[in-house]
Amino acid sequence: MMLALWLLPLFGAILCWFLGPQLKAAAGWLASLAIGVPFVLTLMLWQAGSAGLHQALFSWMPGFTFGLQLDPLSLLWTFIITGVGFLIHVYSMGYMEGDRAYARFFAYMNFFVFAMLTLVLSDNFVGLLVGWGLVGLASYFLIGFWFERPTAVAAARKAFVINVAGDVGIMLAIFILFAFTGSLSFADVFSHVGALGTGALLAVCVCLFIGAAAKSAQVPLHTWLPDAMEGPTPVSALIHAATMVTAGVYLIARCAPLWNHSPQAQLLVGTIGGVTALVGAILGMAQWDIKRILAYSTMSQIGYMIMGVGVGAYEGGVAHFFTHAFFKAQLFLGSGLIIHALANEQDVRKMGGLAKKLPFAFWAMLIGVLAICGVPGLSGFFSKDQVIYGALEHGHPWLYAVGILTAGITAYYMFRMLFVTFLGEYRGDVDHPHGSGWQMVVPVAILIVPSVVAGWLLFGGENSAWAHFFATQFPATQLPAANVPAISEGLTTLIVLALVVLGFAVAWVRYGSKAALHNAAERLEREATRMPGILVNAFYIDVILDAVFVRTSQALGSLFSRFVDPLVLDGAVRGVAGTAGRLGGLARLLQNGLVRSYALLLVLGAALFLAYYAFAGAR
Amino acid sequence: MIPLNPAGIGFLGMSLVLVLSAVWTVTGRKPVYSVIGLLVHFSALAAMYITLSAEFLGVVQIIVYSGAILVLFLFVIALLSSGVAPFSLGPNRMPWATIPAAALVFVTCIITIVAVGRIPSGAPTTPIANAVGVAGTANAFGSVADFGKALFTVHLLPFEITAFILMVAVIGVILLAGDQTPYMPSRRREMQVRRDAREAILRGGEE
Amino acid sequence: MTGELPVAIINYVFLSSVIFFIGVAGVLLRRNPLIILMSIELMWNAANLLFLSFAKAWANNAGQIFAFLVITVAAAEAAIGLAIVVTVFRAAKNVDVDDVRSLQG
Repeated sequence: MMLALWLLPLFGAILCWFLGPQLKAAAGWLASLAIGVPFVLTLMLWQAGSAGLHQALFSWMPGFTFGLQLDPLSLLWTFIITGVGFLIHVYSMGYMEGDRAYARFFAYMNFFVFAMLTLVLSDNFVGLLVGWGLVGLASYFLIGFWFERPTAVAAARKAFVINVAGDVGIMLAIFILFAFTGSLSFADVFSHVGALGTGALLAVCVCLFIGAAAKSAQVPLHTWLPDAMEGPTPVSALIHAATMVTAGVYLIARCAPLWNHSPQAQLLVGTIGGVTALVGAILGMAQWDIKRILAYSTMSQIGYMIMGVGVGAYEGGVAHFFTHAFFKAQLFLGSGLIIHALANEQDVRKMGGLAKKLPFAFWAMLIGVLAICGVPGLSGFFSKDQVIYGALEHGHPWLYAVGILTAGITAYYMFRMLFVTFLGEYRGDVDHPHGSGWQMVVPVAILIVPSVVAGWLLFGGENSAWAHFFATQFPATQLPAANVPAISEGLTTLIVLALVVLGFAVAWVRYGSKAALHNAAERLEREATRMPGILVNAFYIDVILDAVFVRTSQALGSLFSRFVDPLVLDGAVRGVAGTAGRLGGLARLLQNGLVRSYALLLVLGAALFLAYYAFAGAR
Repeated sequence: MIPLNPAGIGFLGMSLVLVLSAVWTVTGRKPVYSVIGLLVHFSALAAMYITLSAEFLGVVQIIVYSGAILVLFLFVIALLSSGVAPFSLGPNRMPWATIPAAALVFVTCIITIVAVGRIPSGAPTTPIANAVGVAGTANAFGSVADFGKALFTVHLLPFEITAFILMVAVIGVILLAGDQTPYMPSRRREMQVRRDAREAILRGGEE
Repeated sequence: MTGELPVAIINYVFLSSVIFFIGVAGVLLRRNPLIILMSIELMWNAANLLFLSFAKAWANNAGQIFAFLVITVAAAEAAIGLAIVVTVFRAAKNVDVDDVRSLQG
């Protein structure tokens, strides 16, 4: 059954790809089915999976088997991938309706799900890497789906290149792990963690983290994520919010035994996670494209997750992934409703007053925003608090502070988005918003439920259902005894809540109050022109990366194409040919057709022969 | 070196003739001059053979070489002389070859002599099976009887093969330089001949 | 008279070599095909001389037999060579071996 779970999306992809023109609209149904059935299978395998299910498949080299495994961690990811994936497939049936390459879209989406399942279900590092790479490939296909747009193609290429850099990191880590432990399967490697010294362990963790950072859009490898919004909205929802970008979190959680033995690596990961969370939030304040706001918020929330699993609060980080998948998917799909209604308008400055025109979208987005801000009672509240407090528990007070601060900023920019989009007067050009079919509305509605209630699984601290579920996966690690946190969890909650309310209040004053809404258009214009350059240019990280990496590789490439290729390589080939020709020309001089010259050569040969016998002769 | 007894002086004289006639052959301005040189050369050679107790071969040399081959040469010279400028020469296409060729020949000659000098000149230890005729009789060494006996018994196979070679040579010559007109039965040939004659007369009349 | 040469055998070697290489020079340096063929005859005969002198020196008939066969083959070769000369140069402007260049290239 695990095999069916894993391979059904692949079949869906193949069928959609090859029979696309014949299937037409049925491609959407087929693809959704290809994800829905695995979802059902996941539920059926839930009991067995929680205890740990393993199925060896084949041996790809003597001594190395590739197999599938289900344990609480991969089960959770599979649940999200197939569950949220199924909802997004249904949504896409409505969103992509009428698109020229309808079937191709679903083929790519199914392929992506297959690749992601490979990543989370494999029981060895190589399978994980294969899934990793395929997921990057699927992302490339999907970001550049509308390939007639040069911006989309450029974004796809950028994402892929940065992902490949991450792939290299993981490969290096695999090499080191294999060198020290002699095996590639998770079980073997983790039981032999002691074989690696601290230096090697740190190197492995750093290399793995490079991969995770590239895939999960952590600073400084985050620049591809905002550009990736060029893809269709369902793509952004599935790949760049709920699943692919969380692959880094999965990796770190999966390799928890490695991280538990390397405090420096944990510090590195935690810090980068925290920095990313903060940077993402700050940049989210300065965006005008609704999808880019959500992209930066994704980056920021994943920063939380990475921070959580990085410092050792695995359950918290993974819990935040779980809740984030729901409310972020919902936010993206909701924004998709808006974009679809306004005929592909994405700039919030051209929106406004949509609460009256698109009430369902308004309520859905409102719930999503409340969840992401961590309003008590909704899902985000539980998971985010667990992450922030976990940072303090594991001895990182600065990260704790960063987490709290970011929560406040998150509230600010999310409510900013909400107010600018939905309140006030409509500032755009579309007269009649395009209605959305049931295929688009129902998934969003369905997603509201877990956005609200999923967090309650974490209620109860150590005795929660969540903790029990993961008891075997993440054995309770010793908290540093000296770090009995000075601030209790309850106090933390209050502080976070206070900052959230503060963020909400600032946003209200600037964007939601009567005075703000009065001359909203001019105020927004003014804000746009007065936006500090550093924010507009995303802290110039893009520029720096471009200058350091892109320019140098382009220069190297042009050097090769202008000099090495034509002169050295082609030159060698042409040199060989030329030499052969010249030698032939020389040889041709012998063939002058003159009998006397041939006779001369004959006599010369005979003379040499005679000379040999005269002076060195055989007796 | 060469003792100055009658045999030695005879040898010297004959070798002088041989060399000079060879040089005359090679450097003759006209082919007929070369033929004359060759004729003298062959005669001196025959004399040399006789001093070497190869009387039969000396005679064969005269008959075959001087009598047949040189005559053949003369016929061909006659055949090719029927032109406006018989035996004219085109431009020399290998002017650069003269000195190297001459040097090569000279050097090779020296090398040969040196090489031969280093070979022990005793008889081979396993002599080729042959009956040596008794001196002073009709079966003497080099006589016809002695020669014929050896030719038709011990060396029969080479003899037969040589006959074969001659036959092939005849066929080859006919094919190469023979009459190229197609075969016709005699009556038709006669008619053809009369027709050719009439046309030749008519053509001759037009000129 | 068997086994007893008029002079030492080495003189015959010298003589034969000289005649042979005069013939070689003729082949390389003359352009008239008939003279080239005649030089080749010279070479044959030089070899014959050597055969016969060694036959006498070693009192062995085989040298004479071989010289006889050489004469025969030389005759055949001369015939064919002349036939070729006739064929090629029958209608040619110059009787010059340098003009036969169709194998050039």
